[in-house]
Amino acid sequence: MWNMAKATLLASALVVCLAGQDISFSPQVVTPLSVPISRYTLKNGLEVILADDDSLPVVTVAVAYRVGSVNEPQRKSGLAYLLEDLMFQGSLNVSPMQHISYINRSGGETNAGTTQDVTMFYETVPSNQLALALWLESDRMYTLDITAANVERSRESIVEDIRRRKGNEPYLESFFIFDELVYADYAHQHPVVGYEADIKELTVEDVKDFYSTYYVPNNAVLVISGNFDKSKAREKVEQYFGSILRGKDVPAPPLPDMGEKRETSRNIYSSLISSQAFHLAYRIAPPDSDDFPALTLVDYILIRGKRSRLQKNLLQKDYRLVSYLSGGIEKRSHSAVFKIFAVATNAQMAEESQRAINSEINKFMTGFISEAELAKAKDILKMDFINHFSTSLDKAVFLAEAFFTHPRFDEILLDLDKVLRVTPEEISRIIHRYFIPKNRVLLNVNKIQ
Amino acid sequence: MKKILALVILAGLIPQPLPGQERFRKSPPVPEPLQELKLPAIQTLRLDNGLTLSVVPRRNLPIMNLQLIIFAGESFSPAALPGVATFTAEMISRGTADLSVDKIEERIEALGGTFLCDTSFEYSVFSLSFLETRLDQALELLGLILIQPAFPERELTYMKMTKFYELLEKNRDPEHVAKRQLFRSLFRGHPFEKALFNEDTIKNISRKDVQSFYQKYYRPNNAQLVLTGNLTNQIASRRVSRYLQTWLPRVVQPVYYEPPPANDKETICFVDHPGTKDAVLYLGNVIFPPSSPDIFPFLVLNQVLGGTPNSRLFMNLRESKGYAYYAYSELEFSTTAGLFIIRAKVAPNALVSSLQEISQEITRLGREKILTYEIEQAKSYVIGHYPIQLEAWDRFSFKAAQINSFFRLGDDHWNRFYENIATVDAARVSEVAQKYLLSRPMTVICGDLNTLARPLRELGRVDVYDQKGNFLYTMSKGEQ
Repeated sequence: MWNMAKATLLASALVVCLAGQDISFSPQVVTPLSVPISRYTLKNGLEVILADDDSLPVVTVAVAYRVGSVNEPQRKSGLAYLLEDLMFQGSLNVSPMQHISYINRSGGETNAGTTQDVTMFYETVPSNQLALALWLESDRMYTLDITAANVERSRESIVEDIRRRKGNEPYLESFFIFDELVYADYAHQHPVVGYEADIKELTVEDVKDFYSTYYVPNNAVLVISGNFDKSKAREKVEQYFGSILRGKDVPAPPLPDMGEKRETSRNIYSSLISSQAFHLAYRIAPPDSDDFPALTLVDYILIRGKRSRLQKNLLQKDYRLVSYLSGGIEKRSHSAVFKIFAVATNAQMAEESQRAINSEINKFMTGFISEAELAKAKDILKMDFINHFSTSLDKAVFLAEAFFTHPRFDEILLDLDKVLRVTPEEISRIIHRYFIPKNRVLLNVNKIQ
Repeated sequence: MKKILALVILAGLIPQPLPGQERFRKSPPVPEPLQELKLPAIQTLRLDNGLTLSVVPRRNLPIMNLQLIIFAGESFSPAALPGVATFTAEMISRGTADLSVDKIEERIEALGGTFLCDTSFEYSVFSLSFLETRLDQALELLGLILIQPAFPERELTYMKMTKFYELLEKNRDPEHVAKRQLFRSLFRGHPFEKALFNEDTIKNISRKDVQSFYQKYYRPNNAQLVLTGNLTNQIASRRVSRYLQTWLPRVVQPVYYEPPPANDKETICFVDHPGTKDAVLYLGNVIFPPSSPDIFPFLVLNQVLGGTPNSRLFMNLRESKGYAYYAYSELEFSTTAGLFIIRAKVAPNALVSSLQEISQEITRLGREKILTYEIEQAKSYVIGHYPIQLEAWDRFSFKAAQINSFFRLGDDHWNRFYENIATVDAARVSEVAQKYLLSRPMTVICGDLNTLARPLRELGRVDVYDQKGNFLYTMSKGEQ
């Protein structure tokens, strides 16, 4: 068992040392998860996080920009995703294909990802190649090569990808429609990948504006995790990133509009799908709410793991209501939604599945969860939390994303303890507060012949 | 999203440095000296019941991983019952005398655990990751499922149904179909062929067959447990003995067979996969086992030929000729043999040209001297990538098991891996290229016959198989 008394003691002793811009919270790390992390800010506003671990000669560099699909204006959907692609198409001193080939030759790996709130780029390389990764990331932050030809190439590749995905994933469109029901504002409704019609109309100027507004050091965080010498790393960070000019102040991303709180339900029809499906969501408290730790556990009790309530009752072999079930909390910067997507074995089973979900939620309302079930959920969650630190890449991605989306980044290692302290009574209270009809959104995806 | 496929080489578009930018920005930095690889020593001991226990110290996270290896894979299945080794391994966790499968799954989750099993040609591996505070519970559960499996009839029926749909589902993937046909063609008549069971052959497996396989091979003296985490030999052996001491040894009859022979004649197989737009190519041949010293130069050779998008196959077939979506080469090993594989997805009208280019690339490696800079680049990749592969705990633990247990390789592949690659030179690479690449690889093409009929007729003799591996007929050059 984790030592809760010790955890509480350590947590209460947490003192964040403020030495200029330098914040270190390594000595106060709670419980057995010892993750030394330090943070500082360059003069141009670039935030730097260092997380060292000398177990293997490997290092990851991640650069995340606080920009995603929520920052896209109306009729400009897909801009953030297109820019992610363009970041591999050449910069001031790196020609197309070179970024990947430099990393590959070192034995390393590189990739990127865009969400609603963050766009992130990363390289995992042998430790002796840290400077290479910093050089490459700094070059594309310094000056990206945005030309009509590059934009066109990215556009074609993305449009082709969307078409291919729509062909291969018959339920994909329903995910887009569901977000339009869950969120009331365009910024949060539209898909990260963008609408094909919008992407086709994006101009080079749109892309340049977006890049110069958001891809600036004062809107970015650089994480170095793994095996490296801290003082040398700081020197190199200063060398490669220190002289990049600070950008203009970055406009704050729009806050989500969850609309008027009322139960919402809709039907759509498709001839492409193999079976009836449905999306179900409950609008819950945002990540900075005190209720969030208990909500996180509800997520685990309901749908995480083979023996969670819904997986057990909807998917298990003797009770074949659904052939596919996924879901969990979708956490964004200022909002959170508990979502379920299920492909039912037929239309009747879709209805029955929804009744089964209601019944599980009602069980929460009428009786406390057992200590054993709660303990099991906490153990799975604990393992998942630890696994955020499993590799230098996992750690860098987790820290970079959390830097922009976590309400109190410097307390990030305390998250686990907050969840571990949740009681059955709190779970019950949370269910009564959020898992109620007025927070419910339902989309039935009906099969037509 | 992988960017690799979205990129093309644009000659003449190399950006010019801006006036005024700092000098250090203009070219990539020189790497620091390579940092030493210091992997923990693997301690191995034998417990009273004959179980080999290896302990791999790792301390950076409060978790542990165990890998239990049973030295009996599909090659050990009875000749008439391919699939029995796989079913036995998968049924181990599906019920004991006192625990239902549901209870076992509950217990795994209560460890914060993830349990996986995999059966290959020569062994089955069970992997369990868990919170380090749950070591006792993890070993207790492992003991229960290993020593008292009940193999419930109901679960076997369920497993057959699941496997049946799983195999059908896999048939939808032309790459899986092509690779399976390659293995079938290379291993015809060899015990390895049993690993390629299909949805028909598993129907005959009974509970008695599974029990008999278990009784024969699931013995501590035919197994090894590799435990990775923050613990000492003494603690590990005490705890493991406590929960596994009632697992009783028995004489296990060894199964002898020669490694499968390398293919040495021009053989092209085709599998029809209606609706597939492209042509999937799998070429391969049997090479040396992983214990051979040839493995180090061959790893470098593979990197030169097709290990990454910077390698010759990708640069030629995709970037230069535009024939392929991808083209790679890779190595797979079991204890007694290795496999060298080239895989590519090409446009139907480029099928013949792609095969010619692949053949030329292979021939070039065997006949022409490889430039030093290409060798050094390949070595740099192989060395640099090695520790990255080891970062995740389960992969680290699996690699330790692979080296220490089922491949029995020793420190040459653990702490001396860097130096063994660093000392490879062009002469050694050429030597292994000539030794292993000059025999003709087996070639498998999978795609839609309607789309590929014309190019297939240009290839000479092509043996056509169905997706279950049954030979149908032979196509000859120019035949209508």
